[in-house]
Amino acid sequence: MIDVNAYLGHFAFRALRHNTADGLLRLMDRKRIERALVSSASSITYRSAHAGNEEIAADLARHRDRLIGCAVLNPAYAGWRDDLRTCHEEFGMKALRLYPRWHNYKLTDESCQELIQQATRRGMAITIPLRVEDRRQQSWLVDIPDVAHAEIAAAVQAAPEARFLLMNGSGFAGSVLGRKNNGLPPNYAIEISLLTVELANELGQLLQNLGEDRIVFGTGMPFHYPDPSLAKLEILDAPESVKQKIRAGNAARILRLQLSRPSARRPRQSPPC
Amino acid sequence: MPIPRRAFLGSLSLAALPLPAAAGPVIDAHSHLHHRGRPTWREDDRKLIDAADKLGIAQLCCSILPPERPTSLDGFRECNQWLAEAIARFPKRILGYCFVNPGFVKEARDEVRRCVEDRGFIGVKLYNDYRCTEPVVFPLVELCIELKIPILHHAGHTMWLPQPQPRISDGGDFAELAKRYPEATLICAHICGGGDWEWTLKALRNAPTVYLDTSGSVIDEGVVERAVRTLGADRLLFACDMSMTASVGRIRGAEIPESDRAKILGGNMAKILGKRSGR
Repeated sequence: MIDVNAYLGHFAFRALRHNTADGLLRLMDRKRIERALVSSASSITYRSAHAGNEEIAADLARHRDRLIGCAVLNPAYAGWRDDLRTCHEEFGMKALRLYPRWHNYKLTDESCQELIQQATRRGMAITIPLRVEDRRQQSWLVDIPDVAHAEIAAAVQAAPEARFLLMNGSGFAGSVLGRKNNGLPPNYAIEISLLTVELANELGQLLQNLGEDRIVFGTGMPFHYPDPSLAKLEILDAPESVKQKIRAGNAARILRLQLSRPSARRPRQSPPC
Repeated sequence: MPIPRRAFLGSLSLAALPLPAAAGPVIDAHSHLHHRGRPTWREDDRKLIDAADKLGIAQLCCSILPPERPTSLDGFRECNQWLAEAIARFPKRILGYCFVNPGFVKEARDEVRRCVEDRGFIGVKLYNDYRCTEPVVFPLVELCIELKIPILHHAGHTMWLPQPQPRISDGGDFAELAKRYPEATLICAHICGGGDWEWTLKALRNAPTVYLDTSGSVIDEGVVERAVRTLGADRLLFACDMSMTASVGRIRGAEIPESDRAKILGGNMAKILGKRSGR
């Protein structure tokens, strides 16, 4: 399994557990998650987001077989071109993570478009978490809305050659992003952690509308329990071949990873159940 | 491969989750059936039961809420009638909370008594028509004490101003109500759908007669462990409030003793239900 939505470090507004490399790996082992795309949680609220990339770089280097680096950059902040180069060339990061609301820019801003283009030229995927936490529980210091689906639609349209991963989102099925034949390039995939499988079954709708190649497994750990995403896959009414694509195949393709043979990269210990 | 429906029905106990087989049935302490103004209500109710089957939930404690606020007298009577019919359609799967607007003081009390004594409902559900500390609510609380039934109350605490639900109750309000009525069985709803859950846990810490349901769509890691540490496992009730995989997942994922997990998943709610039945 590949989790495209994982984090190391601290978040300014809530204490996180399992947020060191060892802690996250232990959690991944217990849940049989082989690899994770990991970015800095601290970068969300650092003024200079790149400081968070630097903080996790050594951990990523030590665990390159399991933790895949994802750079958090702010195209409205000085020096992002240098930081992108460092993240890609020195830290070996395979993807870029954007927080347009937390970092106060729009995905369609010229500087953001340029960042997406430069990261794409480097072969990096572009990941966009629609939210960090539920707005109802945000601190009195902030009032950060989710990234609007229409803004994301404009961004994917403007960069058809880029590969986008949309995470921590819901309501896609009712927006242009989740509609069949929506006129958008098929250059984005949607991560499952906040999608429903029961009742409205948004995940099922997206599989039907976008196809089985455009849904990816992710948890949001350690912000989130990983188990809800695992439960979704358990009860999803889909063939095993489709579930396998969601668990790992689609993420591997988008992140350009080699999938290991089942015996080659096992979790370090057996899970308890 | 999908598990056959019959196999699920045969395993509707804690054993359906990785839990001790000797424990009792999993009870969702906070759920809803659909208002019949929704054209697909029958199919949607069926989907709820199907999801419960797949996730190993044996019983769902449900209410039906009308969409309008403030809630009208006809509105809540109609919903309770539909719920009584649903209980007959899904015997032993659906348990009923009588939903009322406490502002209709006499009529609400009459409706609760009728639903509990004649229709076998197991409790009362209140929403945000009034804050739970407003005196208009007290006669209803006193009736619930007499009938030995719980009150499941909508709740939330956000830092936003202005508050989108001006009469929503929060953990502090329940603590205050519990001080006035320590013999009442109060359930504070959806810790994972009611804003700042850390605030709510602290507000409820010293109100030992208030239970907390674990439902909601927020899947923040650590919430269940923190709730167990702050309130104790005896005060927590597994619930989904329709967010089924989120709610099952957070209990599965919580790093707590299996004995605590069993209490949360059904043991504590079974005790609450036993107060009226004398079990």
